[in-house]
Amino acid sequence: MAGKWLKRIMIPLSVVSLATATACGGSSDPTQTETSDVSTPITISFFGSDASPTWNNMKDDVGQAITKATNVTINAEYDVSGGGTQKIALMTASGEYPDTIFPKGSITKLVEAGALIDLTDLINKYGPNIKKVYGNDLSRLQYSKDDPSIYVIPTNAGVGEAKFDAGGGFELQHQVMKELGYPKIKTVKDFENVLKEYKEKHPTINGQPTIPLTLNADDWKIMITVTNPAFLATGAPDDGEFYINPETYEAQLHYKRPEEKEYFRWLNHMYNEGLLDPETFTQKNDQYLSKIASGRVLGLIDQDWDYQQAENSLKTSGMSERTYGHYPLQLDDSTKDRSFQDIGPPVGYGIGITTSAKDPIRIIKFLDWMASDEAQVLNNWGIEGKHYEVKDGKRVIPADVQERKINDNTNFTKESGIGMYNFSVHYGDSVKDSTGNYYTTNFPEQILASYSQPEKDALKAYGATTWKDLFPAKDEFPVKAWGAAYNLPSPDDPSYNVAYQKSQDIVRKRIPEAILAKPDQFDSIYDQMVSELSTDEMKKMEASYSQLIKDTVELWGTNKK
Amino acid sequence: MDSTTKQASSRKSGESASARQLKTGGFWKVFKQQKFLYLMSVPFVIWAFIFSYVPLWGWLMAFQEFRPARSFFEQKWVGLDQFITLFQDQQFYLALRNTLAMSFLGLIFGFIFPVVFAILLNEVRGILFKRTVQTVSYLPHFVSWVVVAGIVTKSLSTDGGIINELLVSLHIIDRPIQFMAQGQWFWGIVTASDVWKEMGWNTIIYLAAITGIDQEQYEASKVDGAGRFRQMWHITLPGMRTTIIVLLIMSIGHLVSIGFEKQFLLGNNLVTDYSQVLDLYALKYGLEMNRYSYGTAISIFNSVISIVLLFTANGIFKKTTKESIM
Repeated sequence: MAGKWLKRIMIPLSVVSLATATACGGSSDPTQTETSDVSTPITISFFGSDASPTWNNMKDDVGQAITKATNVTINAEYDVSGGGTQKIALMTASGEYPDTIFPKGSITKLVEAGALIDLTDLINKYGPNIKKVYGNDLSRLQYSKDDPSIYVIPTNAGVGEAKFDAGGGFELQHQVMKELGYPKIKTVKDFENVLKEYKEKHPTINGQPTIPLTLNADDWKIMITVTNPAFLATGAPDDGEFYINPETYEAQLHYKRPEEKEYFRWLNHMYNEGLLDPETFTQKNDQYLSKIASGRVLGLIDQDWDYQQAENSLKTSGMSERTYGHYPLQLDDSTKDRSFQDIGPPVGYGIGITTSAKDPIRIIKFLDWMASDEAQVLNNWGIEGKHYEVKDGKRVIPADVQERKINDNTNFTKESGIGMYNFSVHYGDSVKDSTGNYYTTNFPEQILASYSQPEKDALKAYGATTWKDLFPAKDEFPVKAWGAAYNLPSPDDPSYNVAYQKSQDIVRKRIPEAILAKPDQFDSIYDQMVSELSTDEMKKMEASYSQLIKDTVELWGTNKK
Repeated sequence: MDSTTKQASSRKSGESASARQLKTGGFWKVFKQQKFLYLMSVPFVIWAFIFSYVPLWGWLMAFQEFRPARSFFEQKWVGLDQFITLFQDQQFYLALRNTLAMSFLGLIFGFIFPVVFAILLNEVRGILFKRTVQTVSYLPHFVSWVVVAGIVTKSLSTDGGIINELLVSLHIIDRPIQFMAQGQWFWGIVTASDVWKEMGWNTIIYLAAITGIDQEQYEASKVDGAGRFRQMWHITLPGMRTTIIVLLIMSIGHLVSIGFEKQFLLGNNLVTDYSQVLDLYALKYGLEMNRYSYGTAISIFNSVISIVLLFTANGIFKKTTKESIM
C-alpha cells in the first residue's frame, strides 16, 4: 500500500509526466523526409488554439485539392474549448512541439521557450506570395523593439479588409423588431424597452418561458459578452482588457472608466427588472447555445461567431425569424460605436513554425502556396464547377450550394472544407483579384444572397443593405496608432502576468456580483472592485502595458507627435 | 504494495516463529526462507522506485526560477523565494480552506453513506433485488465528471431544472432558487454529487468485508436473543472495522490532493471564493503562466501536508484502536 499513496503525493511527477504523455507528437512522423522538394508527400503537424469543430482531417473537397496540389497533409489538432493556454504550457514544459502552431496570446510563452523560429529570411527567400499579399514592409510583424524577429505570419485578420457586414453590437430577433414595427433604436434604454414590450406580449415562446436577454459568461467568453460590450457601448475601441488613451498612450484596465460603471449599472437594472436571465453567470457555453437555439431568447450582446452554431440550428429548423440583427447601441447618444475603427495592416495572431519542424523550408513553401491566389480562392470559394461557377468571368455560387451554406452550414463546411484552411496570410473582404472578382465570398451581392427573408425585411425597414450600414463608418475615426492592443504580445514578465491574472480573477468575480446585487448595493461592490484594481501591483502592470504600447508606436513609426 | 506483501508474508509464515527471529536479528534466515515472496515483490519495488522516487528530483525546480528550454545547470537558483511568495498570497489560503473543507465533507459523507448502505444491503434477503440495487447504485461511478456536472447543473437550473420544479410544485419555495450562484451552497453541491456518484462503488469493498464475517457469530447471537439491529451493531460493524480504518487512514493521506475536476466543472465566476481548490490554483497561477517552479512549490507543500496528515491519523488510530496501516 505504501507505493500507492506515495504515488499520489508525488505531484511534481504529474507535471512532468503529463507533459510528456499529452505532448503533441507528429514531428516524429516517419513519413516526413528532410527534403524541401515539393513533389514528395509530407505531413505537417499543426496545433490551433481556437476550437474548430468542423475540421474534417482534410477528407473534405478543399483539403483533397490542397494535398493534390502540394503533396502536403496537415495533421491538425485544435484546442477543445479554445484558448490553448494549457496545451501550450505543457508543450513548453516538455519541449515537444508540432511543426506549426497558431498560439494566439500564448506566443510569448513560446518565444520565451525559444520554440519559434525567425521567419524573416525564410519569407524573404521563399515567400513571394506572402510578400505580395502582406506588402514588402514586414516591420510591423517584428516581435518587439528588443527582438526584431518575425515569429508568426498573421492569419487571423485579412489584409486590406474592409468588412461589408457587422457581426457585433447588440442583437435582437427579427421577429421582435417586426412585431413592434421596426422601432428606431439607439441606446441601451431603447433596447430594454423593446425587450420589455415583447416579453409582456409573449410571456412564452414555443411553450417555454421567454428569455428577454441572456449573456455567455462561461470562462473567457465573459469578456466577449459581458465586459467588452462595456467599452463598445461607451464609445471606446477594442483594446483587450485595457483602455488606451489615444493622446498619451497610457493604459488602464478599462473597467475603471466611470462610463463603464454606468453600463454595468444598466445591466444590474436589467437583472433587477427580470429582463436579464438569472442564469447568465452560472450557465455553461452549451446551455447558452441551447437556449438560443430554442428560439426564445429575444436579445443578445455578443459577436456572431460566438452564437453562430445556435443560429445555424435555428435556420436548419426553419426558424429564421428567430435569428438576430446587429444594432450599434450606446449607453447614451453622446458616443459612437467604434467597432469599425481602422487598426492599420493586420498584425498579431498568426501561424508560426517551431524548432521541432524538420523542414522549415518546405513548410514555408507550403504557407507561401496557401497565400497564392489559387489557394485563397480555393479556401474561400471551394472547387470550381462544384461550389462555384465562372460565368462571363464572374465567380458565382449556384443557388443550391448557397442554400446549403445558409441552412445547413455545419454539414456543408465539413464536406466542402470551405474556409477551414486559414493557414497563411490572406486578403480580407472587399479585395479583388486580377480577374476582378473578390477573394472572399463576403461581398455585397453575396452577403445579400446569404440573408434569410426575415433578415432582408428587417434591413429594408431600416433603409440598410447590410448590418454594417447601421454602424458608424471607418472614416469617422482616426487610424489607431498601435493597431489593436489585444493583437500585441503582452509583456513577458512574471510579475505582469501574475498581476494580470489577479485582475482578471477580481473582475470575473466582482462584475457578476455587482450585476446580480440589489440596486442600492451596486455602488459599493463596484467601487470595491475598482479599489482592488488600483493597488500598486496593478498600477505597475498598467505601467508596463503603457510602455509596450509606446514601444510599439515607436517601432511602427506611427507616432503622430 | 510491496510492504503489504511483506506484511502478509510475515503473517502467513507462522507468526510466532518468524516474528521472534526478526527481532533477534535472523533477517537473512527469514529472507532465505521467503525468497520467493521477496522475488515476487521485486517488480513492485522497481515500479514504485521509478514512478514515485525518480521524479522526486524535479522538486529541485521549486528552489529555482525555472525557465523552459534551458538545461538544468542554466537555471537560476532562488532559494525559498517561491515558498515565500506562496505563503504571502491570500488566494492560496482561500484555496487551502476550500480544499480542506470539501475534502473533510467528502471524507465524512463518503464514509457514512457507503457503510450504512452496505449494512442495509446486507440485510436484504431477496438476492435478485439486492443485486439489482447494487448494480444500479454503482453505475454512476462509470459516468465521467463532465457528464455528471452537466446533469447536476441542469437539474439545479432555474430554467426548468427538476429540483426547482419539484420544490415549487410542492410549495416549499415560491420562486426557483439559484443553487449554482450561491457560494455557500457550493461545498454541499460538490459533496452531494460526489456521494451520488461514488456511494455504490465504495459500498462494494464493505460488502466484501461483511461477507468475510463468520456466520456462526450471527447464529450464536440469535441464540442469545439478539435482534437485527443488535446484530448489525455488535457483529457486522465490528467485523468491518479493520477495512473501515485502513480506508480511512488512506483517504486522510489524500485530503489535500482531491483533484479539481468537480470544482472546475461545477464552479462558475460567482462562486470562485468557494470553488477554488489547491490543484486549480496550481494550474492557474503555476502551469498556465509558465511558472513551473511555483507549481512545484505548491505540490511540495501538498505532499508535506499529506505525509503529516497520514502519519498523524495512523498514529492516532494505532493508539486508540490498535489498527493501523504501518
